[in-house]
Amino acid sequence: MNDKKNNSDILVIGAGISGIEASLMLSKSGRKVHLVEKTSITGGSVIKFEEVFSNMECSTCMVAPLQQELLQDKNINLLTLAEVKDVKGSFGDFKVKINKKARYVDMVNCIGCNACFEPCPVNLKNDFEEGLSERKAIYVPCSGALPNVPMIDTENCLHFKGKDCKACQEACMFEAIDFGQKDEQIELNVGAIIVSTGFSTFDLKNTPQYGYGKIDDVYTAFELERLYASNGPTEGKILLKSGKTPKSVAIIHCVGRDKTGYCSSVCCMYSLKFNHYLKSKIPEVDISEFYTDLVIPGKSHQKFYEKMREKGTKMIRAKDAEVTKQGQKIAIKYADGSGKKTSNTVDMVVLTPSIVPKTDASDLAKILGITVDDYGFFKEKDKNVSSVVTTKPGVFIVGCSHGPKNIQSSVSQASAAVGKILSSKEGRLE
Amino acid sequence: MTEKFEPRIVGFLCNWCSYAGADLAGTSKLKVSSSLTPIRVMCSSRVDPVLVLTAFLRGADGVLIAGCHPGDCHYDEGNYYARRRFAVLKKVVEGLGLEADRLRLSWVSASEGQRFADVVNEFNEKIKKMGPNPMNKKSSL
Amino acid sequence: MNRKIGVYICECGPNIAEKVDIDRVIEAVSSLDDVAVVERYKLLCSEDGKKFLVEQIKKHGITHLVVAACSPREHLKTFMEVCENAGINPYLFQLANIREQCAWITDDKDEATKKAIRLTKAAIGRVHYHASLDKKQIESNPDVLVIGGGVAGIEVSLQLASPDRKVYLIEKDSLLGGLAKNFEKTFPDMQPCSNFIQQKIEDVQKNNNIEVLADSEVEEILGFFGNFEVTVKKKAEDNCIVNLDVGAIVLATGSTLFDPKDLSQYGYQKLENVITSLEFEKMNLSGKISLKNGKTPKSVAIIHCVGRDEKGYCSEICCMYSIKFVRYLKDKIPGINVSNLYSDLCIPGKSYQQFYEKTQGKNISFTRVADIKITKKGNQLNIEFKDEKVNKNNMSVDMVILSPALEPTSDTSRLAGFTRISQGNAGFFSEGHEKLKPVSTSTEGVFIAGCSQSPKSIADTITQAEAVTGKIFTSLVPGKKIEPEVKVSHISEALCIGCKTCLDVCSYGCINFDEAKKVSVVNEVICRGCGNCVAACPSGAAALKHFTFNQIYQELKEAVQ
Repeated sequence: MNDKKNNSDILVIGAGISGIEASLMLSKSGRKVHLVEKTSITGGSVIKFEEVFSNMECSTCMVAPLQQELLQDKNINLLTLAEVKDVKGSFGDFKVKINKKARYVDMVNCIGCNACFEPCPVNLKNDFEEGLSERKAIYVPCSGALPNVPMIDTENCLHFKGKDCKACQEACMFEAIDFGQKDEQIELNVGAIIVSTGFSTFDLKNTPQYGYGKIDDVYTAFELERLYASNGPTEGKILLKSGKTPKSVAIIHCVGRDKTGYCSSVCCMYSLKFNHYLKSKIPEVDISEFYTDLVIPGKSHQKFYEKMREKGTKMIRAKDAEVTKQGQKIAIKYADGSGKKTSNTVDMVVLTPSIVPKTDASDLAKILGITVDDYGFFKEKDKNVSSVVTTKPGVFIVGCSHGPKNIQSSVSQASAAVGKILSSKEGRLE
Repeated sequence: MTEKFEPRIVGFLCNWCSYAGADLAGTSKLKVSSSLTPIRVMCSSRVDPVLVLTAFLRGADGVLIAGCHPGDCHYDEGNYYARRRFAVLKKVVEGLGLEADRLRLSWVSASEGQRFADVVNEFNEKIKKMGPNPMNKKSSL
Repeated sequence: MNRKIGVYICECGPNIAEKVDIDRVIEAVSSLDDVAVVERYKLLCSEDGKKFLVEQIKKHGITHLVVAACSPREHLKTFMEVCENAGINPYLFQLANIREQCAWITDDKDEATKKAIRLTKAAIGRVHYHASLDKKQIESNPDVLVIGGGVAGIEVSLQLASPDRKVYLIEKDSLLGGLAKNFEKTFPDMQPCSNFIQQKIEDVQKNNNIEVLADSEVEEILGFFGNFEVTVKKKAEDNCIVNLDVGAIVLATGSTLFDPKDLSQYGYQKLENVITSLEFEKMNLSGKISLKNGKTPKSVAIIHCVGRDEKGYCSEICCMYSIKFVRYLKDKIPGINVSNLYSDLCIPGKSYQQFYEKTQGKNISFTRVADIKITKKGNQLNIEFKDEKVNKNNMSVDMVILSPALEPTSDTSRLAGFTRISQGNAGFFSEGHEKLKPVSTSTEGVFIAGCSQSPKSIADTITQAEAVTGKIFTSLVPGKKIEPEVKVSHISEALCIGCKTCLDVCSYGCINFDEAKKVSVVNEVICRGCGNCVAACPSGAAALKHFTFNQIYQELKEAVQ
C-alpha cells in the first residue's frame, strides 16, 4: 500500500524576480508557498537597476507592485534572513530544515518610520549600494526596500559586541526593536522546491588588467547602476571621485569572459542601456564601447542599439584591453579589429563582468541533491526536454541560478516551473 | 487687507507610478509643499478634462496631472491619452482666461520621490508668482 | 440611504500624532453630514487596532468607514478586510493618506493639520458616494485551443491535455512538427531532433484528450477569456466548418525563413548551389549532401546574418545552427572544407561557447566579414568580401548555405486581428509586458509561445510552452469560476450616443458595440479599470466604478478649499 504523502505546499528559494513570480503564481492557484530569502528584503538584483532595456522602464516601479502583492498575500510565508540547510525526502514529500537569523526588529510592530537609524553610532559601507555609501548597524539596504523593516547587523552592532548601546531601541516608539530575538531552526514539509537563487558577478581581482580597485573611476556595471539610481548613493548624479562630471566614458564588455568561458548574454544590451543613462545625465558625454562581438538577439534589441548609436557612441571592436592611469585620465590600450595596437584616453571606465554562479551554489546543490554544470550553475537534467527540470524529481531551477539570462527568460522559466508543479499529480516523477 | 497667498493645487496622481513616487517622497521625509492635495486615480487616463476644468472653475490655482513615464503605463497606453488630453486642455484653460501654465503634466515614477518633491515645489512657486485663480474673485458655482 | 459614517484617525505612534493636531481634525469633521462617530487611535493597523474598528462598526451600526492614516498602498487591503469582518461591503470605505503625503512632508504642524483636515473631509465627502461592489464569478471553459503544431504547440498540448481539459491542436499543414521536424540534430548537444519530434507527434496522436485538426485554419475568434468561440475551416474536408468552445487560446504559429531572393548579392535562386539553411537541413536529413549535379561538395561556405539589415534584428539562433552545420558536414564528409562568414558571433548562454570552441579544427574557419558578394566562377561560387583588416578578399567554394533571418509566419496578422493583440515593429506577436509577461498578451486568455513571439532555440521554445501551461493552470482551472476585476467601467445605455470613441481608446478591446441598440457595452470580465473610456466619453455615459465623477468631485471640492 502506498501511503506516500503528497504535500501541496511549495518551497521557493530566493525572492528575486523569478522567486516572486513563481510564488505569486502558485499562490494564485491556491498553493501555500514558503519563500526563503537570504537577505532582509525581496527583489534580488532587479531592484538595483534604475531602468531596464529595451524600453527603459523604471525597474523598481515594475517590481514594487509585485513585492507589495507578495507581502500582503496570505498564501505566501516569506522567511527573510533565512537559508535552507537540509533537504530530505522526495517529490511530494520533502522535509526541509531552515536556519532563520534573527532580525532583532519585530516585523509586525515596525511601521518603517526609520527613526532608529539616526541615533545609531556605527557607520559601515552599504553592500547594496556597492560600497558607494554608508549605512548604520541597524538598517534597510535601500530606500523603498520591501519589506520596509530594518535588520541589525550583529557583527558590527555595538550592543551585540558587548557594549552598552540601546540608541535604536530608545528611538523606537513602537517597541519594535527586540534584542532578545533568537535565531530559529524551522522545519517545513513541502511537495516541491523551486530554486531561484540568482547570480553573482565575476571577481575582478582575477582580471587585474582592468585596474579595478587600483585606479579611481573604474566602475563595475552594478556600481554605475547605483550611481544612476534616483534612490542611490548620489541620488542619480554621475560624478568622478574628484567630484567633477566625466566628459568621456569607456564601457568595456566581456570582462572575465576569457576565464569563465561563456557569453553572459545580457551585457551588450545593458551596456547600450548605460549609453542612455550617461547621455540623460551628461548630454555632451563622449561614450565608447569596447567589445568583441555585439550580442543583441531579440526582436526589439537591434532597434535599441541603433537608437543609442544615433547619440554618437563609438563602437570599437577590441581585444586584449588593458586599463592604466595616465595623468588625470585613464588610458585603455587594446588591439583593434585588424590587430593594430592602439590606445584611447577617457575620464571614466565601466566594466561589464561575467555573470557567475553564487559562491554557495555548489553547497546548495549538495543539500538539494541536484548537480551543477562545468561552470557551477545548477544543471538541468536534459536540455532537450526541459530547462527547469533537474536530476532530482521535484526540484526545479529557474533564472540565473540556471545560467546567465535576461529578465524575460528568467520570468518564463519561473512560469514554466510552476506549470511543471501544477501539472504533476501524486508526486508523479518527471 | 491682503492675506498671504496660499495656493490650492489639485494633484491627480496615478496609483502605480506617481502616487507611489509621492509616497516615497514622504517615506524619505522630503519637504514637499502642502499646497498640493493629492487625488488618487488608477491611471492618468482617468483624468477627465471636465474634472480639470471643474477644478479651475471651483477656484483651483493650479492642477497637476502626474502619470507613469511613457512606455511604463500599467495599462499600456493610458498615459499617452493623458498627454493628448493635456495638450488640448491647455488651450481650453487659456480660453477660460487663465494662464495655460496653471495646468501641468508630469511623469513621475514610483522610485522618483525626489523628483515628485521637486515638481510640486517648483509648481507651487510658479503658481505663487502667478497669483490666485482670477475666478476666485468671481461668484462661485 | 441612512448613512452612518465612522471616522477613525490613526496616530501612527508619533508619526501622525506629533505632526498633526488630531484633535483639531476631529473637531473639523465631527459635524459633517452623516458622521456618526469620530475617534482617534494609537495604531489602527495593529491587531488591537483592527479589533477596535470591528467593535466600533458593530457598536455604532456604522455603514461607511473612513480611516485617516497611512497610504492606501500600505493598508487599503487591511482595512477592507476589517470591513468584511465587520459585515460591511469593503468598498464602502475610504482611506485618507495623512501620513506619507501629509505628516511626513512638512515640519509645519499648522500646515499639516490644515491639509489633514482637507484630506479627511475629502474622504468623508467621497465615501458618501461609494456603492457596494460585489465580487463577480463567471463560469469558464477549461478547454484550450492551440494554433500551430510545431514544437511549441506540441509541448503545450501534451502538458495541458487531461481528462478534465481538452486541447484542440490546429495545424494549417497536413503534417505536425513545424520547422524542427526537418532537423536531424539540435545544438548544442547534437541530440537527435527529427526522431524526437516524431515521437512527440505520436504521443499527441495517441492522446485521447488532444484533438488534432490538421489542414485547418481559424476563420474567426469571438468571445473572451473563459468563453471563446472559435470557427475553424477544415481544408481537407471540403472546407467544412467546425465551431469550438474554449477558455484559452495559444498562438504557437512559429516563424518562417526570410526569403533572400531579392538580395542580389547572395545569388539565391539565380546561382546553382546557393541554398538556404532549411533546404540544407532537409538535404542533410535525407542522408546525402550533394550539389545540383549530384557530386559531393568539397568546400562549403555558410553565410550568417542574411537579411539581418533588412529585418532590423538578430534572429538569435543562426550562429548556433551554422556551427551545427559544420558538424553535420564534417560528420558526413570528413575531408570537407567549411568556412563560416559572419558579422557578429552570437553565442550567448552557458553552453554555447563551448560548442563553438569544440567545432574548430582542420579545414574549418570562422571569419568576420562584411560586404559579401557571390558570383559564378566556373563550376564554383566565388565569394568576395571585406575581412577584419578591411582588405578585399575572396574565396571559391562548391556550395553556399545562407542562414537567413526568421520572420513571423504569413498568418500572424490575421490571428493578431482576431485576437486584438498587437504586432511589434518586427511583426511578431507582442507579449503583454517585455519583461514580466513574456507569454501573455494584452488580451486576457490569449497566450503566445515559441518563435511566434520572437526567434528562439528549441530549448527556449519548450521553456515558453511550459510557461504558458503555468499561466493556464493558474488562471483557468476546471470547475473553478473566474473572478474578474471589480472596479470596472460601465456604460449607461440611456446616455450612450453610439459615437464609438470608447472602442478606439480601450487598450484591451473590452468594449463591444451593440449594433441593435447602437450603444457601447463594456465586457466587465476583461475590463482592467483604467478609466480611459470614461475620460474619452463625450456624453458622460461611461463611468468607472469606485472612481466615478461624483466621487472624485468630492475630493476635488475639498482640495480647493
